[in-house]
Amino acid sequence: MDKQRLGETLRPYLMIAPAMAGIFLFVLYPVVFLGYLSLYDYNLMNKAKSKFIGFDNFAEIFSREDFYKSLSNTVFYTAGVVILTLLLSLLLAVWLGKKSKFNVFVQAGIFTPHVVSIVSIALVWLWMMEPNLGFLNYVLKAFGLPTSEWLQSSKSALMSVILVSVWQGIGYYVLILVAALQSISPSIYEAAALDNASKLRTFWKITLPMISPQLFFILVIMTIGSFKVFDTVKVMTGGGPNNATNTLVYYIYENRTTNIGYASATGVVLMAIIALLTFVYFRLLSRKVHYQ
Amino acid sequence: MKKKLSMLVTMTVMTGLLAACGSSNGGNAGAENAGNANAPSNAPAAPAEKVTLQFWHSMGGDNGKRIDAMIQRFNESHDNIEVVGTFQGGYDETVTKLQQAVASGSAPDVSMLERAYVEMFADSEVLEDLTPYLEKSGISADEFTPGLMGHSYFNDQLVSLPLNRSTPILHVNKTLLDEKGLAVPTTWEELEAAANALVVKENGEYTRYGFSMPYDTWYPIAMISQAEGTFFNEDKTSIGFYDNGVGMKVFSQLKKLQGTGALYYPPSTDSGNIVNGMFKEGKVAMVYQSTGSIGGLASAVDFDYVTAFLPKDKVFANPTGGANVSMLAASENKEGAWEFIRWMETDPQGALPFILESGYLPFTKSMVESQEMKDLWAKEPNRKVAYDQLQYAVDTNNDVAWPEVMHEFFSAIEAIMYDSKDIQATLDTFKKEADRILAD
Repeated sequence: MDKQRLGETLRPYLMIAPAMAGIFLFVLYPVVFLGYLSLYDYNLMNKAKSKFIGFDNFAEIFSREDFYKSLSNTVFYTAGVVILTLLLSLLLAVWLGKKSKFNVFVQAGIFTPHVVSIVSIALVWLWMMEPNLGFLNYVLKAFGLPTSEWLQSSKSALMSVILVSVWQGIGYYVLILVAALQSISPSIYEAAALDNASKLRTFWKITLPMISPQLFFILVIMTIGSFKVFDTVKVMTGGGPNNATNTLVYYIYENRTTNIGYASATGVVLMAIIALLTFVYFRLLSRKVHYQ
Repeated sequence: MKKKLSMLVTMTVMTGLLAACGSSNGGNAGAENAGNANAPSNAPAAPAEKVTLQFWHSMGGDNGKRIDAMIQRFNESHDNIEVVGTFQGGYDETVTKLQQAVASGSAPDVSMLERAYVEMFADSEVLEDLTPYLEKSGISADEFTPGLMGHSYFNDQLVSLPLNRSTPILHVNKTLLDEKGLAVPTTWEELEAAANALVVKENGEYTRYGFSMPYDTWYPIAMISQAEGTFFNEDKTSIGFYDNGVGMKVFSQLKKLQGTGALYYPPSTDSGNIVNGMFKEGKVAMVYQSTGSIGGLASAVDFDYVTAFLPKDKVFANPTGGANVSMLAASENKEGAWEFIRWMETDPQGALPFILESGYLPFTKSMVESQEMKDLWAKEPNRKVAYDQLQYAVDTNNDVAWPEVMHEFFSAIEAIMYDSKDIQATLDTFKKEADRILAD
């Protein structure tokens, strides 16, 4: 065997070995270990007390009402956040698309919440949403509008969390969309103007398709991100009242100290759901996306 | 060019990380060596090796400073033992970290442990049985306040000793009660009458409520035992307040009071601070709250502030709370670890100053009989009430599965108190869930 040849074949593997080692250690190993844990009634502190129970954890997951509750909360939350954010950020981006001093100012204002830590934001909203002494109800009362129990009632709690997440995230997506809008070549619009196309038609036929890669990106990123929502729930509601805002990740978190095997099994289920969602998105929507 | 640069950066970071790992180990070794070198000169009689003990606790803020001061006192009086205290976040956070640390073999020698989690750790056999140590040091188990030992034994092993313990108590704005000519309530009926009399309603809105309690399982459990129910039944196969109707009675009472404004039930998040704030402002006249709040409330209010036993139904009863201290079975310096625990529990310079300053309950007979404690009680009778109430202390929620059942109980409390769900139906669901968990 030619020594030089061997060296050449091995070299690329050698070069990517450090990166691969990192991926194995920090990505693949944890995922495999998660799967391993999910098959056990695992005692973290005393391995001798762990029991292999096969798929019992999964059977338990799918027979427990609180799992379905947190799953439906997560779906509702994700749908709410994604739809509201997409619509509002598109609206704002179209409005702020033209460069002017005022628009730059407004855009900076909308972006600011994104810079602040979500924990601080959640805390401030938590105080504002206090039903008796909070700012929001004070304002509503001042205008003679009906007040809300906000986070304290299971009817409005999830909506309140969605509100905060949208408020916090919107600036970032507006920024992406504004950039996308400004990158559309003016010549296309000029051509449309020459053809006497209506504004609405221009929007549907030119603007939307031209920014569809960014919209698709936002859709995928936000769906995955929202499915993994944790910090707002942890700070604002702790999953309550009565599990009204308990989301999948928070559900996993709650079970971590008392039943790590069950929590891991839920983690596996969450992973499967997100993988499935991403796959569906790419299959269904990627064909509609227009890349220049 | 860019690739090269990023490679360079990665390499530097990696080397840095590796170096950091290396140096942290080296640093420890160095410190130990230094200790060895110093020990003989400081204390010739002491063992040649100076041992370093890790102690994890959950006390931040002012109480954290008090714990640090306590550790410093220990280190100054012990030449051959060095205790390193680490604040690990709140009780739950400490528990999570401790679990992981035990799993990875890096657990501390001694740790503060919220009392409700003691059973869970003991069940995994990671806590040292302290009975032999207690005998060797000639300390009788009777030395400890009986009401605070409810979480100390597991399968006849002494797995933890009380440290910073508290109990719920009734805090009263006596000025408001006096205005209405009301006495401090001692029974549920008196509480109901007094609380209703204190409600102020203006323009269809409550501006003052009768009484309140933070969102916690503690207070419903207190009421359950006052009505002579227990949280778990005797053989811990189910809950002990369902069949006897106690649960129905407790929650019906709470809902009735909530309906008239006699009870203000706060939002779940930050409820302790909200309730305390309203009490200070006179927006509620009485609160069920931990004894740990006495110090803060006494210094903040300008009205006549007194404490009293939680009102009784059939009997006086109250659960206990706070944390115990445990020795980890994996500790390599058990003698040193015991010396630290023994010193905290029994030495007048040990935990006593911490207890005096913080407002936690004294947990040994000598603490109770100490001059400092007597002086404090003479000055602040409110603190004595808390201790006296311990004669009625009863914990009926001791079980390995409690942390898991607790979560379901919170859901039930939320369903009833926030969503006004049907009490019986909610308790049905709760019983079903609790039975499932307990069956495992």
